Amino acid sequence: MTDSPSATAPSRRLDPVAMLAALAVVAAYTRAIWFTPPERIQGFAQKILYVHAPAAWVAFLAFGLTALAGAGWLFLKDERLDRFAESSAEVGVVFTTAVLVTGPLWGRPIWGTWWTWDARLTLTLFLWFVYVGYLVLRGAVDGRESRARASAVLGILGALLIPFIHLSVYLFRTLHPMPVVARPEGPTMPPVMLTTFFFCFFAFTLLYVALVRARVAYAAERDALEDAARG
Amino acid sequence: MPDNAIYYRLAYAATLLLYAGYALSLAWRRARLARRRGGHV
Repeated sequence: MTDSPSATAPSRRLDPVAMLAALAVVAAYTRAIWFTPPERIQGFAQKILYVHAPAAWVAFLAFGLTALAGAGWLFLKDERLDRFAESSAEVGVVFTTAVLVTGPLWGRPIWGTWWTWDARLTLTLFLWFVYVGYLVLRGAVDGRESRARASAVLGILGALLIPFIHLSVYLFRTLHPMPVVARPEGPTMPPVMLTTFFFCFFAFTLLYVALVRARVAYAAERDALEDAARG
Repeated sequence: MPDNAIYYRLAYAATLLLYAGYALSLAWRRARLARRRGGHV
């Protein structure tokens, strides 16, 4: 299925979801910086959790949805699913980059090292490589159908890493901390920190939605322009 | 309490730059497409 150029004409109006996401992200940073106390033992470095954990959640969500959209494309051959998969993967790479930048910034003061070849860290780096490869592959394959098919397969295979990354703290001897919220005994954080933690999850998930909407709109405009140029 | 605020400030600044930079790159790519679309008409 393709969109007509008129259906994908760029809108000059700001997306309300993007405005809401920007407000939520500013509120999340404000609350985390000025209205949430530092943890007694880790100090201010503990506040890195409020940007690190939500970024990891959004990366998993993004790549999981990339795989689902790719699987959907393999059955339905609907170009909108391929555009969504491409967009979600690109945004997922941005959030995984945030995970890989903020993790070492927490590790240096707490572990005494920027990086260790721990199972969770290493698998997260592999995940980043797989989806950077996914984006490179999309740029290298000519023809929309071939590109969509190859990237759908890679998108699905890449997402198989997600459960291993999530379970790596249980499956392997690892330095990475165990979950502090999603645990059978309940969260170990005080309510003020827990509220900030959940609000950051909400804000960054909303940011994901806004960025994917903008990226899908771009991809639709690009494809419509290509179709128009081809005649 | 350990004095390690610099790390969290760096982490917050880095993530803000990353997200804002990506959003700006999207706006720039869409603007470039709009210019190309104008050239076609």
